[in-house]
Amino acid sequence: MPRNLWLERILWILAAPLLALALTVLVALPSGAPPLETLRILVLGGLGSMTKFGQVLTVFVPLMLCSAGLLIPFTARLWNIGIEGQVVLGAIFCTGTLMPVDQGGPWHIALALAAGMLGGALWALLAGVLKTWGRVHEIFSGLGLNFVAMGLTIWLIFGPWKRPGVASMSGTAPFDPSLWLDRMGRLASSWTALALACAGLALVAWLLLRTQWGLGLKAVGQNPKAARLFDLSPRRRMLQAFALCGALGGLAGAVQVLGVYHRLLPSISSGYGYTALLVGMMASFRILPVPFICFFFAVLNVGSIQLPLQLNLDSSLSGVIQGLMVLSVFITQGLRSWLIRRREGC
Amino acid sequence: MHEFALVLAGILLAGAPLVLATLGETITEKAGVINLSLDGTMLLSAMAAFALASATGSPWTGALGGMAVGAAVAAVLGLTNIYFGQSQLAVGFILTLLCRDLAYFLGHAYSRQPGPTFGYWGIPGLSDTPVLDALLGRQSPVVSMSLAAIVLCWWWMYKTSGGMRLRAVGESPRAAFGRGIRVRLSRLMACLAGGALVGLAGAAYSLAVKPGWGRPQGCEGAGWIALAIVIFGGWHPVRAAIGAYFFATLQVSGIYLQDLFPSVPAQVFQVAPFPMMIVTLLAVNLGRMSFVQDMMRRYPILKRFSGSWPITSPAALGQDFDPKKGL
Amino acid sequence: MIVLNEISKRYGRVRANDSIGLTLEPGRIYALVGENGAGKSTLMRILAGHTVPDSGTITVHGQSHSRLTPALAASLGVGMLYQDPLDFPALQVWENFRLGGTSRTRAQVVDKLGELSNHLGVCFLPDEPIASMTVGERQLLELLRLLDLGATTLILDEPTTGITPEQKRNLFGLLTRLAREENHTVVLVTHKLSEALEMADAIFVMRQGRLTARLSTPCGEDELVRLMFGEAVERAGEIPAVASPGNRRLGLEAATFAGPKYHLGPLNLSAAPGEMIGLAGLDGSGQELFLRGLCGLDRLAEGSLLLDGRTFASNDFKTLHKAGVHFVPADRMSQALFPDLSIREHILLAFPGQAGRLEDFRREQCEERFNLRAHPDTPAKSLSGGNQQRLLLSLIPENAPLLLMEHPTRGLDAGSARQVWEHLRERCRTGATLFFFSPDLDEVMEHSHRVLVFYDRMLVADVPRAQATVETLGALMAGKNPEAWNAA
Repeated sequence: MPRNLWLERILWILAAPLLALALTVLVALPSGAPPLETLRILVLGGLGSMTKFGQVLTVFVPLMLCSAGLLIPFTARLWNIGIEGQVVLGAIFCTGTLMPVDQGGPWHIALALAAGMLGGALWALLAGVLKTWGRVHEIFSGLGLNFVAMGLTIWLIFGPWKRPGVASMSGTAPFDPSLWLDRMGRLASSWTALALACAGLALVAWLLLRTQWGLGLKAVGQNPKAARLFDLSPRRRMLQAFALCGALGGLAGAVQVLGVYHRLLPSISSGYGYTALLVGMMASFRILPVPFICFFFAVLNVGSIQLPLQLNLDSSLSGVIQGLMVLSVFITQGLRSWLIRRREGC
Repeated sequence: MHEFALVLAGILLAGAPLVLATLGETITEKAGVINLSLDGTMLLSAMAAFALASATGSPWTGALGGMAVGAAVAAVLGLTNIYFGQSQLAVGFILTLLCRDLAYFLGHAYSRQPGPTFGYWGIPGLSDTPVLDALLGRQSPVVSMSLAAIVLCWWWMYKTSGGMRLRAVGESPRAAFGRGIRVRLSRLMACLAGGALVGLAGAAYSLAVKPGWGRPQGCEGAGWIALAIVIFGGWHPVRAAIGAYFFATLQVSGIYLQDLFPSVPAQVFQVAPFPMMIVTLLAVNLGRMSFVQDMMRRYPILKRFSGSWPITSPAALGQDFDPKKGL
Repeated sequence: MIVLNEISKRYGRVRANDSIGLTLEPGRIYALVGENGAGKSTLMRILAGHTVPDSGTITVHGQSHSRLTPALAASLGVGMLYQDPLDFPALQVWENFRLGGTSRTRAQVVDKLGELSNHLGVCFLPDEPIASMTVGERQLLELLRLLDLGATTLILDEPTTGITPEQKRNLFGLLTRLAREENHTVVLVTHKLSEALEMADAIFVMRQGRLTARLSTPCGEDELVRLMFGEAVERAGEIPAVASPGNRRLGLEAATFAGPKYHLGPLNLSAAPGEMIGLAGLDGSGQELFLRGLCGLDRLAEGSLLLDGRTFASNDFKTLHKAGVHFVPADRMSQALFPDLSIREHILLAFPGQAGRLEDFRREQCEERFNLRAHPDTPAKSLSGGNQQRLLLSLIPENAPLLLMEHPTRGLDAGSARQVWEHLRERCRTGATLFFFSPDLDEVMEHSHRVLVFYDRMLVADVPRAQATVETLGALMAGKNPEAWNAA
């Protein structure tokens, strides 16, 4: 019997990716995309060369920072959808710190990274205060603040921080190379950024699994009313969770500015905040799967850049695949529990 | 006077899809299910409606297609949540992102292409009164559809036994089950009906209010605003419609503000409804905060204001129900 | 005639019903008694079609069914009334009456409702939302609805919890008439023996999922107790005397508590160490806010609170918690425990200072003092009601001066309830002051030095033990002559 059970379990694990694959083919057919060719371009576009691998890492770093951050509020059952805006505010604070500087060194960069974290944390606290004191659900406040952050970026780029001469959607004036993050040889990514991402995940894992604070946060998520009776200060703890997550999101934004674009762009966050929410859901907000899913999603993101050039398809296919994968996980999970209950019911 | 009527006509038009989407979500939430996927659903159905209308040459076929797509997305949510017991917020959010990307991906070929629109409908005989003529005499059919939907929705919800069952299921699924009402089926039906209306809202964007398809289409974010309006409207169709027109007014006035401040980029004004959304939700909850209650006790006159806009959600909103577990 | 045959139902490892057979005849009133968790409600829910049995048959009018649905049960004339009325508080009276019934317009519903109300001597406003009515009125409306549906077998699950003694008399009168004059079958599910003996023609006794006896009335109460509990339960002895009644543990001076829905006050009150003070009142009469205000969960809007000589102008939860004020709500799982966290984690959260010697501390606290013998990694949601209450009590530090308990024995079997009361008395003997609420007046009277009665969001009376009888308390709870008692 145990052998059968193992087989069944493996089949269920395989069911989700298979369903996702089937659904992807299904939705890609009407657009006339050749399935195998599309898949080849997606994978090779992400892993085909060292340069591309470097690009994957540049996507991986912010994605992992955001995903790790999101694990914290989710432990308290909070949906920090505002992470997208927190990334943007991190980028804005980081840019703002370096605006008056023409040249600099590691200290300036460290300061700018810290400023980014501060920006993200403050923006997250805003959503947190609206949630804990104003009873506005964090999904709405977070989302609203995302749009506000976007508007703020555009206003800055076209207004106070506009490029000398002409303001345009291409962003502010680039920084001096002395203010850039280091590079991994000739790759687009940076060791510092990668180290920050790993440290971020480690910090979150330690906080949530090893500390009294993490246990308290879990308790707040399970039952805020009981947490109040246990004198766990649920409001304060929720705000701390928001702030920590925002700080990691802000760090991701700062890394985007210092390591990737070297200036502030209107779409500086590239939607990584939303993608990170998908990562978290796919991992059921457990820590271990997060880096692997992040890496896979990063490959898809980079690979899809080739689609418009080679097959005249829209690059949003990567988002479609990511969405279908997470949806498939939920559908198969649901189907499984439904079947189990049916069996027990009979 | 005439100019004022034109502005009002603009608000009616801009509000039409918001009204439709808000009504759809109100129906769904009245049955206890939160369909968070509005924003994505609207984009996908806007794309589908435009593509179908282009292919067949008829905007009406397109609108029907949009409704079908909206209902299909809601069906995915309904099945995974109501029957498979997965979190409605999680699935709704996944669907939001998925449908948005799917719309851009599948709509790639229709991007920036000309296509049919709804054009104008005339209610004849209004030409004598220029104000009414501007408001309703030469309007898009989506305006009449949205107005009719408000009345129908209210009537159905409060004056028919089907509507009563819908409210019962959202209020207490256990009690409804105990009275022999098929709770899960009712909820699924509410999801489908609500989804279809949201789909129609999407079609209203791509075929009338912001005709055409592209990336971005221009209706991005409207779904989230509609979700907030449902709360603002206290889950009541008529009050929700008032909320929708309030936000439409805000959008329309953005255009005029832009003329006043030409140096500020257009995108900044497009953002304006979102902080308004937060402020609105904050105001809705104001009455429940302790210091406000203290004030009301000290100055009883304030109570009048708080009572005039009651906000009570369906008691079982967001709660899953499994008849197997019994009562 | 309804015959239940060999009905069995398991919940996990628990046998809620173990091959039960019984017969119900028309025109008679039955009582189904047994302590909490004996399986009474499960059996009746199976009969009403709300729960599916694992095995057995239900024969109604000669036709056998292996399971019923709510709709089928209703069509067979079986109607069930729940302890918490299963209705729609936000909907209006006529809508509640109409839902699930025959297709009628509003006017027809109003006519029918008026006709039935007249017949039974009650009165309803068709457009009133149910939320503004009392539990007793909502029960009556449900009863009318079931009768309108053609119910000839009426099951009432603990119908007297949360209603006044007067409402109870009316309800029982109505039920007797229905049985005697209109030949209905009435089943009263209760854990109160007095009610069973007063009303029933026959009494079924259930114990641990089995039907242990069928008695015809009149019968002796002692015999009934023995059948219900296996052995005779000793009544708890006399409650300990208050050691120093002159001392003041707690004082309220013109205190007004502000809840989310209403205000309570101004209150003037004092309580001595060792005093056990019961609160009586119907749901929503103010006793909930009183307890929540005392521990700082709801705000002290005006006045002041004294605790052991310290005066507090505001009732900050944190400060009071540090000073040793502990509140245990009635709904333990949804308000006081973390469903997925283990016993050990609960202890760690309540006593962060003990993190170093957690295991020893847990053993002292849970096993030695409370006999809580579950594995320390058991999540709270898998604990029985009794063990949940044991865990919660073990989380209160030994020297806590003020305990506030909302229905301390809710959902507990007789043994666990007795243990809880022994523990609470022990705490009071060593100087703690206890305020507790219970919807069961007998329990309130048995364990209080004095009783505070709440009515209509006001503290209406402070009744000493000697005068606290069912009649006095019942009248006060229903708002009758509170002037006779000087509200403190």
